Amino acid sequence: MKRQGSGDLLERILGGPVLWAGLALMTLFAMGPFLWALSASLKTRVELYATPITYIPTHPILRNYVEAWTSRLTPFSVFFANSLWVSSVTMVATIVISTSAGYALARFRFIGKNTLMLVFLATQMFPAVLLIPPLLSQWYALGLIDTYQALIYSNFSFTVPFTVWMLVGYFESIPHELEESAMIDGSSRFGAMLKIIVPLAAPGIAATAIFAFVSSWSELLFATTFTSSTNMRTLSAGLLYMAGQYEVQWGQLSAGVMISTVPVAILFTFLQKHLIKGLTAGAMKG
Amino acid sequence: MNKEASVAMPAPRALLSRATRETLANYTYLLPAAICLGGTVLFPILKAIHMSLYHNVLSRPQDYRFIGLGNYLRMIHDPTFWLTLKNSFVWVICSVSIQFVLGFLGALFLNAEFKGRAFLRTLNLLPWIIPGVVVGLVWEYLYQPNYGPVNDILRRVGLLTVPIAWLSQPAFAMASVIFANIWRGIPFFSIMILAGLQAIPDEVYEAATVDGASVTQRFWHVTMPMLRPIIVVATATRIIWTFNYADLIFVMTSGGPANATQITSSYTLLTAYTDLDFGYAATLSVILLVIMLVFTAFYLKFTKGVESVSG
Repeated sequence: MKRQGSGDLLERILGGPVLWAGLALMTLFAMGPFLWALSASLKTRVELYATPITYIPTHPILRNYVEAWTSRLTPFSVFFANSLWVSSVTMVATIVISTSAGYALARFRFIGKNTLMLVFLATQMFPAVLLIPPLLSQWYALGLIDTYQALIYSNFSFTVPFTVWMLVGYFESIPHELEESAMIDGSSRFGAMLKIIVPLAAPGIAATAIFAFVSSWSELLFATTFTSSTNMRTLSAGLLYMAGQYEVQWGQLSAGVMISTVPVAILFTFLQKHLIKGLTAGAMKG
Repeated sequence: MNKEASVAMPAPRALLSRATRETLANYTYLLPAAICLGGTVLFPILKAIHMSLYHNVLSRPQDYRFIGLGNYLRMIHDPTFWLTLKNSFVWVICSVSIQFVLGFLGALFLNAEFKGRAFLRTLNLLPWIIPGVVVGLVWEYLYQPNYGPVNDILRRVGLLTVPIAWLSQPAFAMASVIFANIWRGIPFFSIMILAGLQAIPDEVYEAATVDGASVTQRFWHVTMPMLRPIIVVATATRIIWTFNYADLIFVMTSGGPANATQITSSYTLLTAYTDLDFGYAATLSVILLVIMLVFTAFYLKFTKGVESVSG
């Protein structure tokens, strides 16, 4: 909003006090709930239920983290490992599947290609609850309830369409002469894709990989419905399970919240620029 | 790899066979994705339609039978279903409109040039990326009547004397979950509109300034028209997404108290998850899908109009 060389009074107010007040309020609002959870996770049991409530822990302790991590009823170490495994495998498999499909859609002519792209985009908008009854009975019939596979396969339903859709855009932006010249030099189409195109599209592929990881990490409904034993729960399902206990341990729960949030927050800072580009690419064309 | 094979064949047939072979080879690139989506999206949707025609309560397997459109009839006569549709409408309209306004403001602020802008952007976008269950639980804690900060802050400012149980009083419950959802969704609009703002070339503003346009004139006559396509796409995506989004309500209230916060998608989820009534849950989800498809069809028609107007 602030552009140089203008003497508009309104503009100076908007660019000065209004901007700073707005930024401060907005950031406080966005961060407030995180700060509250962080503060609660560091409080002693007495302080958690004290009146009047405190906003900064008087004697910050890490006991809630230790207890959540090692708890036998809700072991966050197990939940964390499960989330890490499910999200990592989903991510790797999604990237292999989507790179291949994205490349094909960007380079080859198919009958109904545009329709297919539209279907990929529309899949993003399908209600997740639609898939729960059929997928549950499907995994049950295949004996996959309470397994990692059920969660990983189910996650494909939302990671694959979006990553294919994003990758088609990345591949289309790479000139096709590049792999054609490699093919003239005797490389196969597949070899040219692996050696020429994939390295060039690496930033885009990395961004979609992080997207697949973060969205699997956050997934709740599949993880809750397709697992039943504590040892198979992911962080999201474990948190919900913990909150459903007779007496909610807000200290441990807040520690669990921080454990679930920090990894995706860190990944997000890397992803931000690429994700924004990918997300808005489709919209910007219009 | 096709080379040797085609050399060994008579010329005209080789050409045809090679083309066919290439087409087939091209389709193999799509095969993994096709299997994935067939198994986790397409087949389940068909299966859901099939399930919706059966009386299928998991806890009563002896009652499993084909009932045709019985579940759809039940839905038409189910007052809770109509209530959830109404709630969905309130949930979507309030969430999306306020997210839009605040997200737009946020994008304008974050588009200004200042030191540490990248850092502030990341902080402000965080609510969008964290797991839904985290959003639900943290807000449940914030709303907690006795030791939650929302009541405490309101009391300290003098707006409140008696603590309010935000999530268990029907009058406040819906507004409270919507507020949490707004918090979560603002960054989505900020991201989209920020990208739109950055795509507007500086020269356009400079030209407008030279022509003597004030900051408000520039906003209404340069910024807004250029943002229009992205606003349409972002809003439509968000409407569909919010309509389908069940996690937050599932975590915070399970649709309670007395279905005050029950939207159609959370009702569908709970029908499957708590009642184990898969036949009826499938029916409700098919209806969700139909509503989504109708909305998308309208949306595509509308955006085609936008595209032809803008270029």
